[in-house]
Amino acid sequence: MTVVKLSIDYDAFEEGKRIETEIEQLSNSPEAAAVSSLTIGDWGQAYENSPEDAIQALVKHSASFPALRRLFIGEMGYEECEISWITQTDLSPLLPAYPELQSLTVQGGTNLRLSQLQHDKLEELIIITGGLGKNVLADIAAANLPNLQKLELYLGVDNYGFDGGLEDLYPLIEPGKFPKLTYLGLKNSEIQDEIAAALADAPILDQLETLDLSLGTLSDTGAEALLASPRIKGLKLLNLSRHYMSDGLIERWKKSGLPVDVSDQQKTDDDDDWRYPSITE
Amino acid sequence: MPPAEPLIVICNPGDRRSEGIQLARSRLGMPPALLIPYAGLLQGQPLADLLEQAMQQHLDELPGQRQAMQQQLPQLAQVQADGLREQAGTMQQRNGQPGLTELAAQGRDSNWRSGPAAPAPDTIPPLLRLESPGGSFEIERALIALGAPDAPDADDSLHPYGSQPDLRPLSFKAAGVLKDMPGVLHHPSQWFRGYCRLLARIQREAGQLLPAARWTNDPGEIAAMTDKRRTQQILAAAGVPVPRPLRGSSGQAPVDYGSLRELMLSQRMHRIFIKLASGSAASGVIAYQLNPATGAEVAVTTIGVENYITRPPVYYNSGKLRRYTDPALLAGIINWLYRHGAYAEQWIPKPGGSGQSFDIRQLVVAGRACHAVARVSTTPITNLHLRSRRMTPAEAGLTEEMQAQVRQTAEQSLAAFPRSSVAGIDVLVGSTGRTYTADVNPFGDLLYDVEYHGCSIYEWEMKQLPWRNLAL
Repeated sequence: MTVVKLSIDYDAFEEGKRIETEIEQLSNSPEAAAVSSLTIGDWGQAYENSPEDAIQALVKHSASFPALRRLFIGEMGYEECEISWITQTDLSPLLPAYPELQSLTVQGGTNLRLSQLQHDKLEELIIITGGLGKNVLADIAAANLPNLQKLELYLGVDNYGFDGGLEDLYPLIEPGKFPKLTYLGLKNSEIQDEIAAALADAPILDQLETLDLSLGTLSDTGAEALLASPRIKGLKLLNLSRHYMSDGLIERWKKSGLPVDVSDQQKTDDDDDWRYPSITE
Repeated sequence: MPPAEPLIVICNPGDRRSEGIQLARSRLGMPPALLIPYAGLLQGQPLADLLEQAMQQHLDELPGQRQAMQQQLPQLAQVQADGLREQAGTMQQRNGQPGLTELAAQGRDSNWRSGPAAPAPDTIPPLLRLESPGGSFEIERALIALGAPDAPDADDSLHPYGSQPDLRPLSFKAAGVLKDMPGVLHHPSQWFRGYCRLLARIQREAGQLLPAARWTNDPGEIAAMTDKRRTQQILAAAGVPVPRPLRGSSGQAPVDYGSLRELMLSQRMHRIFIKLASGSAASGVIAYQLNPATGAEVAVTTIGVENYITRPPVYYNSGKLRRYTDPALLAGIINWLYRHGAYAEQWIPKPGGSGQSFDIRQLVVAGRACHAVARVSTTPITNLHLRSRRMTPAEAGLTEEMQAQVRQTAEQSLAAFPRSSVAGIDVLVGSTGRTYTADVNPFGDLLYDVEYHGCSIYEWEMKQLPWRNLAL
């Protein structure tokens, strides 16, 4: 079990260091055969460059990483690159190259595609973006992932590339689409109320253990729909954290006795703004 | 303990800084510092008068310390200016205490000025200490007035860029009637000019009044530390690692929004911090990014703007970080910053997991790193005013080795200011483990509830700052 992260910071990239070289060096190292989890962080000024070369190198050297089960493409904080500015590419070529892969996490939605999303063993797909394009949602809807247990999508806002709507999400929650799915996250959305209302009575709830609608703009409107639904009673966790629900609704959730996370309430008013003098330290 | 030298602090009496110093001195059994109010100086009172008042006040308020003060008073005796002796004589008549005239005579007899040898115990010259002038709008207004083109005392010798005129300056009269609008950045460049003029005057008067006194931080160096353009030049010249400044191939710095963007693209430096040259406390700081592929821009800043139809916008310090992507708005803010003097440098990604980042405020006293705080934030701007969380460097995840490197970088930074002995240095730790100095804060020692060897900051400073330990 070896966990590795490769990353090229700004200065290193300017000095000519390249992520594909790092991948190649890792593949030639004695530890390569034991790498079970590989994270590709910043591949060098990711607001300008896609991870195309990293993907090609990972495909080319896949035989050197027989133990690889978890792959994360684009793990970087805002200190390295705004999530909404991370340039991605079509990551599909990775999947046939790693038939034993169990978990794929992607961060960044610009130019992201998963055009041939087929994999027999993939259990987990997580896509973290500031805005997910509806073409990617269509890629996922067309996917063949018979073993998928967890699907977690950070949908984001239209300013950063979310150009879809409910109609693009419905195909993902059709029963039978992902027969083994137990964790569904449709989160970090500016249409979180609509999503909550659409999911409240969706048959897919019957197979889920976790429904994750956190990090978005969920208000009392969406929460009422969920509360009224008998289908949520079978969930082991309903994650609604970081929300805009009222105190009254939070109280009702608490009284419901349901396993729900209503932490991190956001305030809608602007009272939190304050001003400070300059010369104080 | 050898007799402590008298301490004269120029400050806003009653603020947390002056109170903290007095508390520390009392705990250490030292006589209280003499506090000289900025307000009095800015009302035009001579330093000599204010010093006398401060001495008198101590004798009136602390009769129990009369004996201690009497022991202290001879040590203040370095008066040379003839005009001052008369005033001092009046004081002697008033209270029957030894006056400055006699003290001056004793001072002249001392061997202090003849060489670096230790002075006799009864003639230890005083320490002079400047504190932050912040925290009072009246002081801010008076400094902006003092920076006016028609101000009576226009000694710009300590201003690092004093010959460059301030844009659209306020007259002495107009500045004097500015209204208090909390957080508003009234005229930062004129404020800085006024502050430099005040520093020059204090230096001049103190030099006449107390020629043997020593400064904990030299007024000229305080001016240089307060101007980030000058600070970074001094640090770079001393070989201290600093974030790379944004400059063209022939060394030219940006002058406005347009040239800033051009230089960012031509120098391939797409993520920068822009700082108001004379700002502190994250005042006028922008974390700015330009996407070379799309031309999009994102700025995270404390600067808030109020726009009006009939008059120029008002810029203020918002305690809530703001995010701007609108080019027109950003051009306005950045152009305003550059009109008041600005400095742009490479954005060093700060370390930290789970969406948080931090830097280290490292205090250095008398050449040695002491108290340190990690300022942890979920935003790119970590100042404590923005409700950042405080941790110890170890809690923030820094290894012993990295902490040692931070301390060394901080010590090296203060050493670049050879006539200063106290500063709070902001040290960045890059993702590759390199350390960089981002700021040198001459008044950056106001850290609460941090101890070093069992001492609060002021206790530590009072123990470390006898004249013989000063960076001279």
